[in-house]
Amino acid sequence: MGPGIGAYLVLSVLLFATGTVGVLIRRNPLIVLLSLELMLNAANLALIGFARQHGNSDGHIFALTVMVVAAAEAVVGLGLIVAMSRRKLKLDVDQMKQLRG
Amino acid sequence: MIASAWIALFAPAVGVALIALARDAISRQQAGIIAAGSTFVSFTASLSTFAIMLGDDPEERSHFSTLYTWLSAGSLEIGLQILVDPLAVFMMLVVSGVGFLILTYAIGYMHGDDEGRRYHAYKALFVFSMLLLVQAGNLLILLVGWGMVGLSSYLLINYWHQRSSAVAAGKKAFIVNAFGDAAFVISIFLLAQQLGALDFLTVFGTALGSIKLSSTVAVVIALGLLGGAVAKSAQVPLHTWLPDAMEGPTPVSALIHAATMVTAGVYLIVRTHVLFELAPAVLDTAALLGGVTILIAGAVALVQTDIKRVIAYSTMSQIGYMFAAVGLGAFAAGMFHLMTHAFFKALLFMAAGTVIHALANEQDIRKMRGLARELPWTYRAFLIGTLALAAIPPFAGFFSKDVILAHALAEGLIGPILWAIGLVGALLTALYAFRLLFIVFTAEPSQIARRHLHRERFEGPLSMMLPIGALVALTAVAGFIQVPGGWHAVDTWLEPVAASLQKPSAWMEIASPVAALALAALGTVLAWRFWGRESDVPAKARSAYPRAAGTLEQKFYFDEAYDAVLARPTQRLAVFLKRSIEEPLILSSLGEIAGSVRELGQRFSRLQTGLLRSYALALAAGLALIAAVFIAVR
Repeated sequence: MGPGIGAYLVLSVLLFATGTVGVLIRRNPLIVLLSLELMLNAANLALIGFARQHGNSDGHIFALTVMVVAAAEAVVGLGLIVAMSRRKLKLDVDQMKQLRG
Repeated sequence: MIASAWIALFAPAVGVALIALARDAISRQQAGIIAAGSTFVSFTASLSTFAIMLGDDPEERSHFSTLYTWLSAGSLEIGLQILVDPLAVFMMLVVSGVGFLILTYAIGYMHGDDEGRRYHAYKALFVFSMLLLVQAGNLLILLVGWGMVGLSSYLLINYWHQRSSAVAAGKKAFIVNAFGDAAFVISIFLLAQQLGALDFLTVFGTALGSIKLSSTVAVVIALGLLGGAVAKSAQVPLHTWLPDAMEGPTPVSALIHAATMVTAGVYLIVRTHVLFELAPAVLDTAALLGGVTILIAGAVALVQTDIKRVIAYSTMSQIGYMFAAVGLGAFAAGMFHLMTHAFFKALLFMAAGTVIHALANEQDIRKMRGLARELPWTYRAFLIGTLALAAIPPFAGFFSKDVILAHALAEGLIGPILWAIGLVGALLTALYAFRLLFIVFTAEPSQIARRHLHRERFEGPLSMMLPIGALVALTAVAGFIQVPGGWHAVDTWLEPVAASLQKPSAWMEIASPVAALALAALGTVLAWRFWGRESDVPAKARSAYPRAAGTLEQKFYFDEAYDAVLARPTQRLAVFLKRSIEEPLILSSLGEIAGSVRELGQRFSRLQTGLLRSYALALAAGLALIAAVFIAVR
């Protein structure tokens, strides 16, 4: 018997908080993307923990789905970043505010 | 037979659709050929309908045909329904036949106009509307055709939309007709309420049983129908739109005056004569209105100086004869005059159009003179039209007008009055018709005539001259289908639908033409003395009776009276409502509401910073808040 559900959730919250802070304070879009992945995987960890707790595989399915979405999101995000660097734009999310109202 | 009737109805509509869809793919001339061709298809189909109907038993010539149920409300079911009977076929032949000639003429006349496709499409639409009107199998479809005729005339009258006078004339025609339409609609409502049906079979079949003779309902229904007919046929007092309608191109005038539109009122009365016979007083009113119109229009035509307006007033006057005829119950006589009038009036308009065409759009007859030498064929055509109009034998007008007079003599009460009016009208007709002919064509050519006509002896393209030739032939022979004392083809043909209420005796059929002919001859001689050669009689008469001359020149002040009583007070009311109600209450409040919404939006738009991280922060903060609330509430 490994650690209980509580340990998984604590780790998950820590990871999620790290990711959130990363998204909020970092300006490099690459790091922002990394932080996003961190948040997604924190959620995955929580899902797996719950699956173990309930003894069924619903959580696994969810986790797999999240991974697929995360992969797709990474493709789009990285593509945007490549496009930005090709146009020699500064890699800074605060500079990209042309959609201001 | 029914199939050919449907083809006759829809052929012009197909023509309109083709021209509209083809747009720039066809030339203007091709558009005109499509319009005329579709009308020709319609005419052929009408002819074959007529031929098949000839083989039927006279009592079994009415055929209803319903395409589908157009609308149903409770027990009231109205289909897209046509009625093909001798009266409808008679009108179909006139409308599509004369319409075809006019549309052919228009191809040549409108050559060089920038917006010819639109014009030809409108013309075909006009023919379609009129065919829908005369073939309708119930009153609602008739109303649809009625309204569409009004619409197409509006579109055609202000066809030259660059001219403000044309636009005003179009509006005037539409508004005056709207009065009549409103009256017409009221009687349709009443009929639907009283009889629960609008198709002619039920209406005419049950009207005698369920509406009492001369009851208020019968009178109101007949008055409503009469109101519609008076407006559409330009009878006093709703006639003011017709002279102004001359703003349209000349073939339009021919189409409106000869084959379509103005004859619709006469047709309506004949079609619904069962309802009119339930209210004899209204029928008498129709006859008297016709009589009044004969005199007023005939007198005004004497002093007009625009070639088309003279013919327009003569149309009013001739329709007055038709109204007098159908008002007296001489339905076949009225329809016969409608047909011959369609021929010679279309002929007169086309000949006038050739004159206008040749003189580069000059319409003032005082500037024309002596055109006979330069336009010999047009002169001959115009002469034949004038002879027919003045009812000189052997041309068509002689036979049809004198049938009306004979019927008037046979009617007891108001007949003799109308007979006298008709005779005075015959004198006036000859006077104004020959005045126009003499002023325009005889004497030495005027300056403007010489300037425009000396270079080439060219009267018009073939597409203009051929229809004129056809109409000359028709004007010359059409009268012989009904000869007083001889045979009565039109009477016999229309007998099953609208039998005349009286039968003139032999002496009436002889006396009327003789008297009318004497007066027409007198009018011709007088016209020759006054206008055929140099004469100071008209000028003297003008200075001797200035007030009478002024009244005639101002067309009996109808326009001024309507202006003062209806138009100007309405305009003032509208301006008042705009200034004191619409602008302060509605417009300004609308503006303020819009302004405040815009301001609010601008304030909120500041939240849209464009900074990705601030959005993320807002998201995270909102999530944290929700989580806190959940924890606290639990």
